[in-house]
Amino acid sequence: MARHFICPASEIPPGARKLVTVAGRSIGIFNVNGVFCALRNACIHNQGPVCLGHVGGTYLPSEPDEYRPGLEGQVLRCPWHGWEFDIKTGSNLIDPSLRLRTYSITITDGDVVVDL
Amino acid sequence: MTKETIPTLTESSKAPADTQDKAYRVIDTDIHHSLPDWEALQPYLDEPWRSKIVAPNSRVGGLGVEAGRSRLDSIPPGGGTPGSDPAFLIQQLIVENHVDIGILTGDIYGWNVHPNPEYANAVVAAFNNYTIERWLTPHEQLRGSIAVNSNDPEAATAEIDRLGPRDDMVMVIIGGTSTSPYGQKFYHPIYEAAMRHDLPIGIHVSSAGTGIAHAATAVGTPRTFFEYHSGLSRIYMTQLISLVSEGVFEKYPDLKCVFIESGVAWLPHVMWRLDKEWKGLRREVPWVKRAPSEVIREHCYFTTQPLEEPPNRDWLLQIFEMIDGENCLLYASDYPHWDFDALHVLNVLPRHYRRKIFQDNAEKLFKL
Repeated sequence: MARHFICPASEIPPGARKLVTVAGRSIGIFNVNGVFCALRNACIHNQGPVCLGHVGGTYLPSEPDEYRPGLEGQVLRCPWHGWEFDIKTGSNLIDPSLRLRTYSITITDGDVVVDL
Repeated sequence: MTKETIPTLTESSKAPADTQDKAYRVIDTDIHHSLPDWEALQPYLDEPWRSKIVAPNSRVGGLGVEAGRSRLDSIPPGGGTPGSDPAFLIQQLIVENHVDIGILTGDIYGWNVHPNPEYANAVVAAFNNYTIERWLTPHEQLRGSIAVNSNDPEAATAEIDRLGPRDDMVMVIIGGTSTSPYGQKFYHPIYEAAMRHDLPIGIHVSSAGTGIAHAATAVGTPRTFFEYHSGLSRIYMTQLISLVSEGVFEKYPDLKCVFIESGVAWLPHVMWRLDKEWKGLRREVPWVKRAPSEVIREHCYFTTQPLEEPPNRDWLLQIFEMIDGENCLLYASDYPHWDFDALHVLNVLPRHYRRKIFQDNAEKLFKL
């Protein structure tokens, strides 16, 4: 395990993301309302570039014909087959036991640092 | 399931020994009783429909393609329409085919695509009365299905409330062909009424491409009965997918649907395709909270006829495993139609499967 400096935290404001290659791995760094998250850029479904996907909310489980928006800014949708993931945990919204690889991320002296 | 439990072909050509021993009852879930002729419905109709029913071209038509509709040996001894003579039907089906309880499905549910809904409402109600008076009351081995016109949910609901309290009516039956997919809200009052009386909804292929129905397929009209009939599973696929997508089973958690004359082998495709699409598109249907295949397994039943006949019988058993066929399939003969399945077509199955498909599943669903 090594610590990798990514960039100053100010480069990734809330709602933004940055794609980086760390130790040969493609990783997405996300700022979800001030919480930094790091996800491996490989969808667990078919290895699609998940971190390039749309970031937004979703519709939470509801009654027929009812739309309940939720998790705004926290849901990553794979650009290939549309699988949805909670950026904060890496979990698939349908089956939370299916998770994207996540990495430990900290802000140290204003810098984004990822451990892997 | 081991190969040793599969009977040989010679054994398969006879009725299963365990049904003849009465180890379990045989419940036949699709028997098409019919009218001897349209005049026979007149005593059950008021004017103006009483006169209209015998007028030429006043009824739901056919595709205009030749259809070998019934077994030639099912014509009653005195002549007339196959399935129209209760005594002969009981002899040929109930006795000779070793059936203990027969569920009548009739052949009137397709009137939902008649251009005149008032006429269709009168005809289905008259047919229900005919069924009760001529078939159910005199014959305790028989049960009925309440035929309703799905294109007029208000009238359909009234008919369900009229006959739902009867013990001899065990389901509501609607035509498989509709002008919109059955998951849509327009049809929900029918499901609500069925729930009031704790009755399952039967969906039976019907009248595609006739009356006010759309073309028989999404790409137009087939030229032969062979072409039309070989592709009928598409009707069931559309209705099943609609019911799941629209959240009907979320809205009516006790609702059960029976896909009658659907066959079996198309189900793995639909279940897997729905599950796959749901993983990518669930945000469009957030009310579908569980995998569609799970919803189907909990709420839907399918009748075995016309059972597919693959060149390798093991493949059929594999398909049964894929869909949990043990718990969702019901035996149906489709008597007296030409593509009738006798009991022995299920001899490809192990004994514990047969007991469930011939008896247990139907017993539970229809409270028999």
